[in-house]
Amino acid sequence: MSVPRLSPSQASPLSCPRRGTARSAALRAVVALALLGSATLTACSSGDSDDAPDVLRVLAGSEVKDLEPMLQRSGVKVKISYTGTLDGAEQVAGGGADGSYDAIWFSSNRYLSLIDGARARLSTETRIMSSPVLLGLKTAKVKELGWEGRPVSWEQIATAAREGRFTFGMTNPASSNSGFSALVGVAAALSDAGEALSGEQVAAVTPRLKEFFSAQRLTSGSSGWLADAYTREGKVDGIVNYESVLLGVQGLTLVYPSDGVVTADYPLTLLASAKPEKKELYGKLAAWLRTPDTQRQIMTSTHRRPAVPEVRPGPEFGSAPLLELPFPNRRTAADGLITAYLDEVRVPAQALFVLDTSGSMEGDRIEALRHALVTLTGADTSASGAFSRFRNRENVVMIPFNDSAGQPQSFALPDQNPQPVLDQIRSYAENLRAGGGTAIFDGLRTAYEQAPKASRDHYTSIVLMTDGENTNGISYDEFAAFQRTLPEAQRQIRTFVVLFGDSDVEEMKKIATLTGGAVFDARSGSLAAAFKEIRGYQ
Amino acid sequence: MKRSIGIALALLLGAAVVVAVVLGNRDDVSGPTTVRGVIGSEKKPFFDDPRVRAAFERHGLRVEVDTAGSRQIATEVKLDDYAFAFPSSLPAAEKIKKDRKVATTFSPFYSPMAVATFQPIAELLTKAGLVRDSGQGYQVLDVAKYMDLVAKSTRWDKLPGNTAYPARKRVLLTTTDVRTSNSAAMYLAITSYVANGEDVVTASAQVPAVAGKVAPVFLDQGYSQSSSEAPFDDYLVMGSGKTPMVMIYEAQYLSRVFAGDGSIKPEMRLLYPSPTVLSKHTLVPFTPQAAEVGRLLTEDPELRTLAAQYGFRTADPKAFADLVAKHRAPAARDLVDVVEPPTYEHLEGLIANIDRLYASGAVPQSEGGP
Repeated sequence: MSVPRLSPSQASPLSCPRRGTARSAALRAVVALALLGSATLTACSSGDSDDAPDVLRVLAGSEVKDLEPMLQRSGVKVKISYTGTLDGAEQVAGGGADGSYDAIWFSSNRYLSLIDGARARLSTETRIMSSPVLLGLKTAKVKELGWEGRPVSWEQIATAAREGRFTFGMTNPASSNSGFSALVGVAAALSDAGEALSGEQVAAVTPRLKEFFSAQRLTSGSSGWLADAYTREGKVDGIVNYESVLLGVQGLTLVYPSDGVVTADYPLTLLASAKPEKKELYGKLAAWLRTPDTQRQIMTSTHRRPAVPEVRPGPEFGSAPLLELPFPNRRTAADGLITAYLDEVRVPAQALFVLDTSGSMEGDRIEALRHALVTLTGADTSASGAFSRFRNRENVVMIPFNDSAGQPQSFALPDQNPQPVLDQIRSYAENLRAGGGTAIFDGLRTAYEQAPKASRDHYTSIVLMTDGENTNGISYDEFAAFQRTLPEAQRQIRTFVVLFGDSDVEEMKKIATLTGGAVFDARSGSLAAAFKEIRGYQ
Repeated sequence: MKRSIGIALALLLGAAVVVAVVLGNRDDVSGPTTVRGVIGSEKKPFFDDPRVRAAFERHGLRVEVDTAGSRQIATEVKLDDYAFAFPSSLPAAEKIKKDRKVATTFSPFYSPMAVATFQPIAELLTKAGLVRDSGQGYQVLDVAKYMDLVAKSTRWDKLPGNTAYPARKRVLLTTTDVRTSNSAAMYLAITSYVANGEDVVTASAQVPAVAGKVAPVFLDQGYSQSSSEAPFDDYLVMGSGKTPMVMIYEAQYLSRVFAGDGSIKPEMRLLYPSPTVLSKHTLVPFTPQAAEVGRLLTEDPELRTLAAQYGFRTADPKAFADLVAKHRAPAARDLVDVVEPPTYEHLEGLIANIDRLYASGAVPQSEGGP
């Protein structure tokens, strides 16, 4: 079950409700998933100012969401707020979590520990479980490749990828730990270095990485959405994900690369700033999570490997020992790897933005839209901001609409020195003006017409942002009929919709479902945070 | 099972002692005095043991502990919040003793540094000339030869005749992060001795060259964990794939053997580095009650016996030797090749140099990262 990430660090202090958001938003998301098979994201969560001495406040990654119900039996009251791996890491390292949270729980503390000053903010770490990041392929494909029951190396996997013999999906390494772990693993294995990657080795291995990632046909901002999209559509031959997620997907054979993997170890970590009574709660919860009974239950219900030697791993994990690949110990190497992936390695994105510039957007709303777009041109200098900006080789197309669809404006980022084009996008965004009606579906139709046939050259997706109901031009039904007539490659382009202002929630969800996209909720949070979040899916 | 019988016995014994204490000290009517300390993480299971808690309570003390890396305890932790500090090594304790102007410290137990590995790995290293029999019933890892291998960037799959562990990664002992953790600092004490021409680093002038020589055994590992429990946990749970060999306190391994909990599997092996150092767990008290905690740990027979069950060597060698004999534990009886760690000042100098090497390995700032 996937639940999208919430981003307290990005939440706008003016528009965010003060409490209770994480739970209810997560609940909304689950409902949306269950009903529609598409995800609702909200960019708002509580950083909790009201604190009770008997409640342990935990800042967590969405990957541990599936354990939350189990915690009720621990005897410790736990309040969890969810955020993205990178956002969470920056928040903790910068001291933003001190006082608001007592502990953190992400799939890994490795990236966090590379940030200057982060380690001093952390106290006791307790590993709760583990799960390696692997490639899961359709069983028939594994047979076709001759990999059944045989050790397969990343080398062989990369060769098969280069030869176009399979396709796969993976999360964006800048948004999600599973994608980041896989990127580190593939890079370490292909670099032939044997030790932790340095900046030079990242540069040297980049051509090999390009071969492997030429087979990537699906991306995602979260591990859960990736697995859902794969299960729903099956358009790619497999996905890179946590073993625990892959074991829950029907029809996949897990490929355990013989030259090594990177494993998530889910450390429940006390913040050094926690008060003594919170330290005791932490100790109680950590001890309970490591009791053999709890460990067994985690293993059987979530397919994670146990963290204590008293509990034997079940047969589903296989018997081959997993080699662990070394992880970089310098932030520059880690960031260099992500940058290389985004700017050089990945299939570049083509991102079409269908933007409401109707009269109701006048004032704060059009300003929020301008700000959200400017944020993506590099104005946000945090790591997550830098990674989510428009990247080298990317095509960005702006399609404003009001009474009808406006003139599409394309921006092609070069493979080096993107600044002049980023400046053009920025100036375009700053000049957006509000006025007139709301022809949502004329705008969206233009985007689908405008998108050249999705090809190997670009990974195309659409963002639709509107603050109200459709008042002009074609209707939803007319759009849906039009969409059905498109050639398959164009029809498969996903639309990620952003709820804002007075959006027609039902109609927006229908668009996301129709196109295999997802819903992002910026009604109570910031539009910029929602746009940043969507970048993980482009 | 064994343990629960032990607990029951201890409770019975404890009850008898409580009666004795109560009869003996009728004026002591208030509850136990709470004494809070900050300790190295590897001693937490000992302090959490109900038998240990009961033993202290019989002396009117309730001991509560928080954990932190020994280097953190000496430098970062706000010691005003605590009645005692109990780092895992003498150099850190000396620093605290000096800073806080404490007269008396207690070193109730110690543990030599050891290497936990697996039979196929040990065989491989024996063939490669790194591991040999000490002639005293235990095997040793030759640290000088190991460092030569590291200097040549040797990979497991390049070791001659290696079919048992053909991993395409470097031959490297897993340690914790030397910048935060004492067990890695003790490993630094060992490697710096070897790199300094078989001599303890005793002068600041020696520090930069020695740090440069030993840095690869830390830096080339990549990411290292910050507490001593974590890599040993990986060793126990995830096996040789993740952790073919790991630097530990002997006590970590032996406590598992003595507990008989099945976590030490038949193919697991305990080696001793040659040379090795002793990690002298040293309690620095800031209050009279904390000094009493130190005294009891050092002198109380029951607490000494319990400490031995956690794999620590104490001033009472018999308790330890009995347990070793009883469990046929692979512990060295007499370690011959033991060297002293450098003083706090020089150890700190070495760590600071290695810390700078972590930072200077930086590539030109990537565009994406701040």
